[in-house]
Amino acid sequence: MSLTADSPVHSPSTSGEDFAAFLDAELDSASDASPHPEEAEEEVVEEEEAENKGGDTDDYDLDSEKIKRRKVEILESSLDVEAMTSQEVEIQTSGASSDKDVCSHPGVIGGLCIRCGQKMDDESGVAFSYIHKNLRLANDEIARLRDKDLKNLLRKKKLYLVLDLDHTLLNSSRFLDLTVDEGYLKGSRDDLSDALKNSLYKLDYMHMMTKLRPFVHSFLKEASDLFEMYIYTMGERAYALQMAKLLDPEDVYFNSRVIAQGDCTQRHQKGLDIVLGQESAVLILDDTEAVWGKHKENLILMERYHFFASSCRQFGFGSKSLSERKTDESESEGALATVLRVLQQIHSTFFDTEHSASLVDRDVRQVLITVRKEVLKGCKVVFTRVFPTQFQGENHHLWKMAERLGAICSSEVDPSVTHVVSLDPGTEKSIWAVQEGKYLVHPRWIEAANYLWKKQPEESYPVSNPKNQ
Amino acid sequence: MFFHIVLERNMQLHPRHFGRDLRDKLVSKLMKDVEGTCSGRHGFVVAITGIESVGKGLIRDGTGFVTFPVKYLCVVFRPFKGEILEAVVTMVNKMGFFAEAGPVQIFVSNHLIPDDMEFQSGDVPNYTTSDGSVKIQKDSEVRLKIIGTRVDATEIFCIGTIKDDFLGVISDPGSTS
Repeated sequence: MSLTADSPVHSPSTSGEDFAAFLDAELDSASDASPHPEEAEEEVVEEEEAENKGGDTDDYDLDSEKIKRRKVEILESSLDVEAMTSQEVEIQTSGASSDKDVCSHPGVIGGLCIRCGQKMDDESGVAFSYIHKNLRLANDEIARLRDKDLKNLLRKKKLYLVLDLDHTLLNSSRFLDLTVDEGYLKGSRDDLSDALKNSLYKLDYMHMMTKLRPFVHSFLKEASDLFEMYIYTMGERAYALQMAKLLDPEDVYFNSRVIAQGDCTQRHQKGLDIVLGQESAVLILDDTEAVWGKHKENLILMERYHFFASSCRQFGFGSKSLSERKTDESESEGALATVLRVLQQIHSTFFDTEHSASLVDRDVRQVLITVRKEVLKGCKVVFTRVFPTQFQGENHHLWKMAERLGAICSSEVDPSVTHVVSLDPGTEKSIWAVQEGKYLVHPRWIEAANYLWKKQPEESYPVSNPKNQ
Repeated sequence: MFFHIVLERNMQLHPRHFGRDLRDKLVSKLMKDVEGTCSGRHGFVVAITGIESVGKGLIRDGTGFVTFPVKYLCVVFRPFKGEILEAVVTMVNKMGFFAEAGPVQIFVSNHLIPDDMEFQSGDVPNYTTSDGSVKIQKDSEVRLKIIGTRVDATEIFCIGTIKDDFLGVISDPGSTS
């Protein structure tokens, strides 16, 4: 750097005192054994300049030109960001303190601090390997980025949406696992129906076949107006990127926001810690609840999409798969269309102008709870023959699910009860329901309402006698 | 910065190449082996410009391969701290942006982007000034200053800044002269 060579030449010409001060400082910094010689040298020059400023009040005019020039030099060579933004403050304080140049090292990329360029070897912070393979960020920096990003996003009336791939947006199967009935899928493309042509992809080099869920393209297009979207999958990175390419061929929805298995900070768990979005503004679409241990409140559970037979087998369904029956989920009434309506509702509730709290203080998790509570509002549910005997009803997942959906659960029948959920039409409570003209429904009625976000017609979920089955 | 220097390398040559074209084979193999590689000491080898000398070959026992010490002239590229570089932006995100100057990858974090430039997400993520006059997005050309380098055996990675006078987008060729 030219700076060090320059300064001693200038110093004697301005004043003798300065030069003495410079020498002192120089000696100090030499004995300091500072690990960053350049930084130390800069400090010296700044200190010297501070002296100039103090002592030069009488002959300021003479030296002002020189000082100005040197200021520029300092600015150009300074490594410290703050020094550049507020040089005035710098000059006042630089003489007094010597540790002002300490960088907080907000993050490390490839072993270098992202702010001061210094070499860093510690492995602290959270790894963001999906952005860059060697990027790690300190917690303060993550918080700062989230904060800044949230404000930006809210200005654009958007929220975050984290999407799972398998069984949520698509379904994949290895060639090996295809059954005989699915053989037609492997045939020439021209033989396939129009719907399949646009959504079925053969990835020969991965030995895999992928079927996109019906409506997924419209879903992404609509959702991208309301959300900043992430892909978050437990699959491998290469697979995730390939799927992202199928879903988003023009790379407008996801950019580099694709998180795969290797990026997770905890094994077998998905965490929002590596999503650069404030948790209070994140919604998650996933078909597996268990992986989101800490973020269940952000989660919208999806009904699994099983197109291929192998996928059905994996989850223990005996019946024929969609592919074998040559059908598919409905485009307009399928799970993605349903959930899109829910997302739109949550989004509009969140940005409702009549809301009293300021945008930043709002929490999408609260909105999610409220919206969910509307589904079975006004229903009073009694369970019979659903839980094992001796089981605390309040702890059963169906009971909790019903409560989350806004229903009131009760263990005893009374005139205010509207629905009796039963597996057996012969129990006392079931008979009571029929006599009193209350709805008698199968537990699937609650599950369906949970997935479809809507009270389902009770007639579609009758309770049949187990002995007749 | 680019340098034109002499480097030396021991080349192993298969006996089938022994003949009239031995020297040509040696040179083409050298180019294949060396150009585009990176050494921590010298940086990236951009191109071989000439052969200074080819030493005496030494036959390897057992294999028949012959090792020639070759001295060659080449252009190398090595970034330094404090150097000003022109680079093409390859990726923009909330953290900052990545740019490439030839084989060197440079990261400019949002701490080192002027405060008046804000990140804008969307189809084409970018950093834009409040009045919209300056925009950094993928494929923009920027002039930046290196503030840190990390040299590995195979790769050089740099941290850069554009938060300084005369740094930033250089899409308008007239203003940069």
